[in-house]
Amino acid sequence: MAGTIRAQYPLSLRTVLVPCTGRVGADVIMRGFGRGADGIIVVG
Amino acid sequence: MLEADRHPNLEMLTYSEVVKVEGYIGNFRVQVKRKPRFVIESECTGCGACTEVCPIYVPNYFDENLSARKCIDISFAQAVPAIYDIVRESCVECFACVDSCDLEAIDFSQQEEIVELEVGTIIVATGWDLYQGDDYGYGKYENVITQIQLERIIAPNGPTFGHLVRPSDRKRPKKILFINCVGSRDENKLKYCSVVCCNLSVKNSKLIKSEYPDSEIVVLYIDMRTAGKAYEEYYRRARDAGIVFVRGLVGQIEEDPLTKNLKVHFEAVGADIVLETEFNMVILSSASLPSRGTNEIAAVMNIEKTPDGFLRETHSRLEPIKTKVPGIYLAGSCQGQKSIDLTVSQAKGAASSAGIPMGQGEYVIELIRAQPIDERCAKCYKCIEACPYKAISINDEGTIVVDIISCRGCGICTAICPSKAIELAHYKDVQYSAYIDELLPIED
Repeated sequence: MAGTIRAQYPLSLRTVLVPCTGRVGADVIMRGFGRGADGIIVVG
Repeated sequence: MLEADRHPNLEMLTYSEVVKVEGYIGNFRVQVKRKPRFVIESECTGCGACTEVCPIYVPNYFDENLSARKCIDISFAQAVPAIYDIVRESCVECFACVDSCDLEAIDFSQQEEIVELEVGTIIVATGWDLYQGDDYGYGKYENVITQIQLERIIAPNGPTFGHLVRPSDRKRPKKILFINCVGSRDENKLKYCSVVCCNLSVKNSKLIKSEYPDSEIVVLYIDMRTAGKAYEEYYRRARDAGIVFVRGLVGQIEEDPLTKNLKVHFEAVGADIVLETEFNMVILSSASLPSRGTNEIAAVMNIEKTPDGFLRETHSRLEPIKTKVPGIYLAGSCQGQKSIDLTVSQAKGAASSAGIPMGQGEYVIELIRAQPIDERCAKCYKCIEACPYKAISINDEGTIVVDIISCRGCGICTAICPSKAIELAHYKDVQYSAYIDELLPIED
């Protein structure tokens, strides 16, 4: 999405590919927080 | 239709409803409910003896209830198959038709019947229905009718055999008003454009004007949307013929109780005055809705819908024919209202798309599929409820089984499973953990 509208995103952002937003369970999100992420955006 | 009915490779089930679809591409099992006509299809020759003796008249739904038909009748003269049917809600059961039928084709004991079909691919072409709100006095004032009712009035096989008359006094209306965008492009009703109504107004006003050149016809519109090949020229010819196209919408409409004429107040954009004009008849270009039963069809086949209620395609630009269910394709207005030429294009596309996997005889699936891990499973069966594709079932031993053809690899089951007993191939938890750990290294 960011690419198609030519939007920039900050360097501190890390993207994780998922087959479907349904795949994103609590454990995946908690793992991210556990590793020090300040926030997690689920985008579909 | 007649050609299709006579084709040796085609079987037509009319007056029927799809009630259940199971299986997957190549192996769909479809249950079709055949509603009782109370006439045995194989026996009826369409002679019409029953209609002659039937004493009951009912509104003719094919003529938009503008004419009457007998309680036992054929829905319209060109109906395929040409078999009679009985409107049981209105039937008084005098059985005169049974006595009149020499072929003994009338059977009042007929029941609903479920037919099971095994098919490889499915094309959904359930069409559309007309919006019938009470806008502009529709339903209250006799001479306010819809475009579809007008179509029946000016049709050669319609209630007046093609003669233009208005419903209240059966006289020819001289001053006619068309109102476009009734119900559609309205924030409070239907937000979408119904696509076909502008051209419908152009066509019908032009037909009336060429048949009765002394008619005074006004078309009120928000925007004239006659996009498409040769439609702009068609619109131009209508204007050249003397039909008045005015941008503006009706503020108020009242019926004169004596003459049944309609007093219409409208503001022509740019003119800055409210005009009050009397018309003999008002025709509403009402919006198109997904046909009744679209919700049921979507539920039965597991097809998604767009916010406007029409069936959803895989991709609005690149895949306008396929649905998200492999082997089910869309054709025509069920996917969104469209003109005849586009409907024909899409129908041919759907037929070809459905033919490709059937010709190839094999279907390639992706390897991203859910994999259950039996020893971890606590048998809570939350995954079965969560699966949007109904791909998970329970076997005789109570363990879960994933149908890898129906499964589409979304991973909802993986996310919802409390005991991590179902994994998505290529998107496993261990892979995600490694991925996230690598992306977010903890600095010592």
